[in-house]
Amino acid sequence: MKNSELSESIFQKRLKRFKSMKRGYYSLIILGVFYIISLLGPLWMNNKALVVRYENNYYFPAIMDFIDFIPGINYPLYEAKKFNQNINSIEVDFRLLDKQYEKENKGNFVIMPFYPYHPHEDLKDELDEEYDDINNNGIFDIGESFIDENGNGQWNENYPPTLPNGLSGRYLLGTDNTGRDVFTRLIDGYKISITFAIIVTTLSYIIGVIMGALLGFYAGKFDLFGVRLMEIFSAIPFLFIMMILASFMKPNIIILATLSVFLKGWIGITYFIRGEFYREKAKDYVSAAVSLGTTNWKVMFKHILPNALTPIITFAPFSIIGDIFTLVSLDFLGYGLRPPTSSWGNLLNQASENLDNWHLLIFPFIVLTLTIFMITFISEAVREAFDPRVYSRLK
Amino acid sequence: MIPTFFGTTLLVFMILQSVPSGPFEQAVLQIKMSKMYSAEAQTMAASSTDDKGGMELSDEVLEKLRMQFGLDKSVWTRYFIWLGLAKKEIKYKEAEIDVPFRETIKVLGQGEYVPVSLQRWVLAYEEENGDITLLASQSGTDFKWKTEEYGILPNAYEIEEWNETNWTIKKRLNSNKVALIITKRQGVLNGHLGESTKHNEDVGTLIWERLHISAFLGITGFVLSYLICIPLGIIKALRHGSKFDVISSAIVFIGYSIPAYAFGLIMLLIFSTTTVFDAPILPSRGWRPEDWEQLTLIGQFIGQLKHAFLPTLCYVITSFATLTVLMKNSLMENLSQDYVRTAFAKGLSEKRVIIYHAVRNSLIPIATGIGGIIGIFLGGSYFIEKVFGIDGIGLLTFKAIGTRDYGIIMGFLVIGTLIRLIGNLISDLCYAVIDPRIRFK
Repeated sequence: MKNSELSESIFQKRLKRFKSMKRGYYSLIILGVFYIISLLGPLWMNNKALVVRYENNYYFPAIMDFIDFIPGINYPLYEAKKFNQNINSIEVDFRLLDKQYEKENKGNFVIMPFYPYHPHEDLKDELDEEYDDINNNGIFDIGESFIDENGNGQWNENYPPTLPNGLSGRYLLGTDNTGRDVFTRLIDGYKISITFAIIVTTLSYIIGVIMGALLGFYAGKFDLFGVRLMEIFSAIPFLFIMMILASFMKPNIIILATLSVFLKGWIGITYFIRGEFYREKAKDYVSAAVSLGTTNWKVMFKHILPNALTPIITFAPFSIIGDIFTLVSLDFLGYGLRPPTSSWGNLLNQASENLDNWHLLIFPFIVLTLTIFMITFISEAVREAFDPRVYSRLK
Repeated sequence: MIPTFFGTTLLVFMILQSVPSGPFEQAVLQIKMSKMYSAEAQTMAASSTDDKGGMELSDEVLEKLRMQFGLDKSVWTRYFIWLGLAKKEIKYKEAEIDVPFRETIKVLGQGEYVPVSLQRWVLAYEEENGDITLLASQSGTDFKWKTEEYGILPNAYEIEEWNETNWTIKKRLNSNKVALIITKRQGVLNGHLGESTKHNEDVGTLIWERLHISAFLGITGFVLSYLICIPLGIIKALRHGSKFDVISSAIVFIGYSIPAYAFGLIMLLIFSTTTVFDAPILPSRGWRPEDWEQLTLIGQFIGQLKHAFLPTLCYVITSFATLTVLMKNSLMENLSQDYVRTAFAKGLSEKRVIIYHAVRNSLIPIATGIGGIIGIFLGGSYFIEKVFGIDGIGLLTFKAIGTRDYGIIMGFLVIGTLIRLIGNLISDLCYAVIDPRIRFK
């Protein structure tokens, strides 16, 4: 046996086993890469320009938008007139500015992100049938070419009666019923769903482990009380209470995550850790630690916990799936994140109200199913790595 | 389970009572709105600018409204009233002292010209020492009622015989007015689920009217999913690693990754719109065909089948993956146990070993889940009922959350908890049937 194999830690062994499960390993990589891409969203799918050069000054609106989440940094207002743009709104429209500068050809330029639409942006005005203004008079003249959105052979000033569904080629996957781009909303929704799931799972694990450890270690009346509390919480219909609570507040991702942890997340983990602590407490190594005068806190979290922790790691992907479903379901029922926040459930809800907008059903459906599918693969690999169970069969 | 019932209902009750914009606030808002409209109409008519206090309601009105919604009592009292442990004020009357008033006991029905109701006189009589005695007359009707069972109610001053009454004094308002109430224990424990504020109907009736819809879908879905999943799980376990196992695993994985309502929407898109097929094959909404009454028996059956097909499919999908995988893993684990080896060693046939020994034992974890699953199925799913527009318990409750109809919300919670209780009982019974070691003694 080689020396390196001998010195392999159990963690390295598990990692190796995890990597050997190809589908799970690649799923993790794909989901992770997509998550980073979605986090970088403001830099590559945004209606704010990456770089604007105007009269020898450089501006970086998209980067400002990207770092907006840091406290103390606010996205500045780029006034339209500052950039010599003559439109109705105060704020500059970078897409129009791009075209304008190109036409003027004065050395000013705008570099737009790869996909120049923002998930929260209302594109209804642009859903009008576009025309090429050949003679630059600002109005449509007969003879100018146009995109015939509703296929009636005439140029219509107002946006077409049905939402673009992606087949017309205008927006990658069409727009929803408030004129927001579906593609960007799916990517943004992915970011929000995964973030939500990670927050909920992490918090649930922290609270669940601490609660379970305390209940299992101290036992007695405290334990009895805790178990009753858990029974009550697990008996309430979770989504039901979430809906009631969400109906009077304006839920954002933090509020929903907190409620989700408080009402449901911690219970399963607490039950499990409590049981493990009961079992481990009776073992000799704990008695040894106690007789050596180790503090309770140290016994709980340094001696017992590492022995109890392994199985719950295998639950984590399932917990993530559950949390994503929670968020999508709440949004679907209309009690989740409020618009304009991107959410898959909201798109599904719009589709359920009018099935003619099939693109609002199919695309979120595919994205949701693929995501869950890949997390299921990860869970399979994690289980294989942490809990290798070999089924032997006679005959 | 019983402490859990109280704990759960108490928790939800407290949450409901403490969140803003409940029925009381809605009633206040409604009154304000109607006041605003009438004020607008008045200003339009007379163009007077006499605006006394604007939209604010007087304290007196607010106090009365609070009383109507029971908000003059503490939350705990309200909870006990809801449970039926404390007495509920079912009637309230501000009566003048020494002046009898008519109390309507019940409405009998439409008479020849006007509605006839059974009434009686109630009198608050002040004695010399200042005490108030409450008296009531015999009951009677104003007009002759069909059954002759009730006499005509005489004029108040012609009554000679006054009896005791179930009215009690709430408080003395001023020198010649007194507030009277009738109290009664009327709560969940006495079988009253309460009143719906939006439907103005008894919650028990509302739920009962819809129970058969949700129960039909739920039970069908439940039975079907067990009929499909258990054999599938067994076959998958026996042919572990085969082509069949891999392919069915893929289907199970897909089923697991799809929320039932999204699946339902896809099915609707395929079968109930013209997107895929030229004409919709299945109806998209509702529980029964609209012309149900006119249909023949066969027509009714086909119509019902068409309407119930997709929702039932969705119900099956919800538990399909978990049940199948549970069954498979459980059987695989049992097959690797020593007792299976022993049974084989004894020379039993493979069929017998698998069916009588291994399968029987591997059904135990499935049986434990029955209770919870029954709860989900019977309780109705707001998702499926919302997607398919089926007016079952789930949709009723879902709408009640939007309109803050606390009666229905609490009623649903009670019914749901009861169903789960029954479910647990059933799973215990199944347990005993499957596992001969368990006996109820």
